[in-house]
Amino acid sequence: MEAPAENFFTPVVPLDFVYNYRVGPYIERYLRGFKDKKILGSKCPGCGKVVVPARMYCGPCNRRMEELVEVSQEGSLENYTIGHVILEKGAIKPAKGPYMLGLINLDGTDSLLLGRVEGVSVAAAKPGLRVKAVWKEELDGDFKDLDHFEPV
Amino acid sequence: MRNVGIIGIGYTPVFVSKRKDVNIAEMISEAVEDCFANTGLGPDDIDAMVFGNMHTFEGVNMPHLWAADYIASLGKPVMRIATGGTTGMSAIHAAYYHIASGLHDVVMVVCFEKQSEGDSQVGLMGIVTPEIMAMLQAGIDISGSSGMGALAGGSAGAISFQASSYLARSGAGIEHIDGMAALERRNAAKNPYAHLKDANATAESVARTALISYPIRFGHICPTSDGATVAILASEEKAAELADGAAWIHGLANCASDASAGNILEGVITDPAEQMPCQLAAKQAFERAGIKDPKKEIDCVEIYNGFAHQTLMFLEKLGMCEVGEAHKLLDAGELEINGRCPVNASGGVVSTNAIGTSAMNRVTECALQILGQAGEHQVEKDVHKALSHGWGGLMQYVTITVLADKPRKG
Amino acid sequence: MNRKIAIAGYRMKAASDLVTTRERLTFELTRGLFDDLGIDRDHVGTTIFATNDFLDGRTISNVFLDPPAGVYMRDESKVEMDGLSALVYACMRILSGQYETALLVAFGLCGSQVSPYLHVEYTLNPTYDRQLGLLNELSAAGLQARSFLNKFGYSEDLLDEIAARNLRNAALNRDQARGIKDASAKDIKDSSYLYEPLRELHTYPATDGGCAVLLASETKAKELTDKPVWILGMGQSIESYYLGERNLYESRSTREASGRAYAMAGIDKPEAEVDFAEVSSLFAQQEPILTEALGLYGPGDAEKAYAGDNGIAGSLPVNPSGGPLGAHPICATGLFRLNEAIKQLRGEAGKNQVKKAEIGVVHGQDGVCAQQNTVVVLGI
Repeated sequence: MEAPAENFFTPVVPLDFVYNYRVGPYIERYLRGFKDKKILGSKCPGCGKVVVPARMYCGPCNRRMEELVEVSQEGSLENYTIGHVILEKGAIKPAKGPYMLGLINLDGTDSLLLGRVEGVSVAAAKPGLRVKAVWKEELDGDFKDLDHFEPV
Repeated sequence: MRNVGIIGIGYTPVFVSKRKDVNIAEMISEAVEDCFANTGLGPDDIDAMVFGNMHTFEGVNMPHLWAADYIASLGKPVMRIATGGTTGMSAIHAAYYHIASGLHDVVMVVCFEKQSEGDSQVGLMGIVTPEIMAMLQAGIDISGSSGMGALAGGSAGAISFQASSYLARSGAGIEHIDGMAALERRNAAKNPYAHLKDANATAESVARTALISYPIRFGHICPTSDGATVAILASEEKAAELADGAAWIHGLANCASDASAGNILEGVITDPAEQMPCQLAAKQAFERAGIKDPKKEIDCVEIYNGFAHQTLMFLEKLGMCEVGEAHKLLDAGELEINGRCPVNASGGVVSTNAIGTSAMNRVTECALQILGQAGEHQVEKDVHKALSHGWGGLMQYVTITVLADKPRKG
Repeated sequence: MNRKIAIAGYRMKAASDLVTTRERLTFELTRGLFDDLGIDRDHVGTTIFATNDFLDGRTISNVFLDPPAGVYMRDESKVEMDGLSALVYACMRILSGQYETALLVAFGLCGSQVSPYLHVEYTLNPTYDRQLGLLNELSAAGLQARSFLNKFGYSEDLLDEIAARNLRNAALNRDQARGIKDASAKDIKDSSYLYEPLRELHTYPATDGGCAVLLASETKAKELTDKPVWILGMGQSIESYYLGERNLYESRSTREASGRAYAMAGIDKPEAEVDFAEVSSLFAQQEPILTEALGLYGPGDAEKAYAGDNGIAGSLPVNPSGGPLGAHPICATGLFRLNEAIKQLRGEAGKNQVKKAEIGVVHGQDGVCAQQNTVVVLGI
């Protein structure tokens, strides 16, 4: 791999794109549930599975999931990773400190919910560890209301 | 070569400016459901899928990944096609080759755009932005440059050069663009899936809309729409098994010319109204379809016309009439839904423009005309062969599909 | 397949920064390929690009490549996915009988011009995952690695072994952008954690790169080259977007895709009939996950395999080229695997050459944790 002999003029395109995403009725109801400290899943009329967060379609059954159900706030940690970095606009930056992300199977659901996990050391982390949802003190009906999970 | 036919079509219930009630994936699923309902087919009947849109409009990269669970695609081969404005027809072409190759028998095409979620002009600006930024940063004065037309008005800015060139060369006047736009708005009023409808539109009413950039008026310009279209294509054998009828693909072609932004926008090399790729692609598609005289053999046409003058211009480029003759056909009423050469009975892109679907809808609308399923906007004459046209890229990329009511022989 | 298709020639180029433009890279690759084969653009029936508007930072990026790729007043289309999917489309066009040759051009300039992680971030659902901000390509890969290690009871050392092997192999291969001569597991362990257990050197490098490939029908291929490499089978599949509804320690859609490809190629026992594999493993753990899904190694066989069987000199080598840990030019990566397999099948792989190379399998992927996969079987 020899070094290229020439250099090219490198224009920078500083355009910031703004998008207005409609989240749709399912995420809207999911977030509204947050205001009452409720976690809503949707239930497939075909296979009966419950997925969190609530969404419209069950892919394998190709069925609309019309029914929204409240699910347990406790569950088991099924998978986890310790973040040492964060990604900001595609750039890797060091995190303030290591933090745990977990995939959590809330009781009675058939999906895994990604969330921050606190109060669990790497050594103590293992699949099946019981955890519960911890809410922010002030609820805004926002994605961040469900703050993290911690051991039961 | 294997015959391939379109055996089913589905649309979102409406094509409108803003679908606030659903997200992108949910909206797409509506068209898939509609197509399954119309055909009585289900996911198990589909071998493979083709998916298309222009993802800079929504800011979602490869949205088929997110939508996978919503479009009955799990476990299937899915191919994402994106060629700009022509995406929808390029996707139909990809589905055609899926089947013509013998590798698959039944293929579903899913195209969409939800333009309300982003800024369409920003999306279009993304085409030339690097050039313009480079010029600015290199200290090149672009204030006198017609490339600024694109900067000032996105697609509409660049297009006014094409329209004025076309008028000068064809002998048509701005009143013909008004008339063409009015005809299409009236047709759109008959089409439940059209966006801008006006049953009472006249050349005079269009002429009263604001002039944007001569000769383009507000009333000549397409809307930005939210919507999705789905089609199912099948081999001859499977079509006989699964459907009552089909619109058969007899010929298809595409062609691209030079896309150096400066050259096109400045008109340095290419007259933006020349549209050589359209002429070449049409010639090739007609050859492949065995069509010798399109004027006689084609019964109806769907043209990709983001701007109303393009209907007239492309009719000439496609060989549907002589150069300078299109506006005379308009004056004689021959382009009307009950005319001799009905064009854009659906209302065209100028009435409905969810970009990912726009070129695809040209094909599906021709298919509906052939199948006799176009409802209120069914053209009066019998349709045996129909011509659909897609246009895009940097005003230099054209796709053509010729459909017929019987499978190709031999 | 109703007619035979061969790869007549290829060009590839990768570096951390190619200091080039898209148009120039496209021209160099296609012109170089044409010169290799002694042809010009009149010999090309149709052209398929595999590029991505996000990576290219411009809408309808394919149209700017038309003149440099020789497509002026010709036919082209674009598959906005990994290049191996574009290869499938190009094959379809030849199989239809409409064309005798097809040119493929794919590239991604993610080393110098745009972050590959941004490209993946934009694929995420904007109504939830992008709003929540926890999921990204690297955190997903960390979860996948943990899932894989836990499932089979492996230690993190295995990831170090895999990365060291690939980076050693990549150092022998001049077509790679990154390699570490004589890399050891310790070298890998010295790199820092991103998302534990995933370390920096377990992941692909941001790469500039591109390639051009010419496909031809049997008759044409024999005119163009003495060393045709034949496409024996192709398969594709996609699985759920939702990570929480997939088993991350396996690749279901790769298994489905390879099943289709093997069926087309008439291969019943891939572990016995396939001589080597080139897979798009973007992170260390993906290599054993993908080779298991390709039916080459059994689940839980990874430790044994990395003891030697899947090395360059082993009985069933995997990524003898060094794989995507050596270069990951998004959109071109699957075709880089293809080109590396062609080198093996033609006996042109130099120090990376495996002992027996008659049938090879190549793999390409799109999406987070390989949501969508394409498998192609090649032979001589």
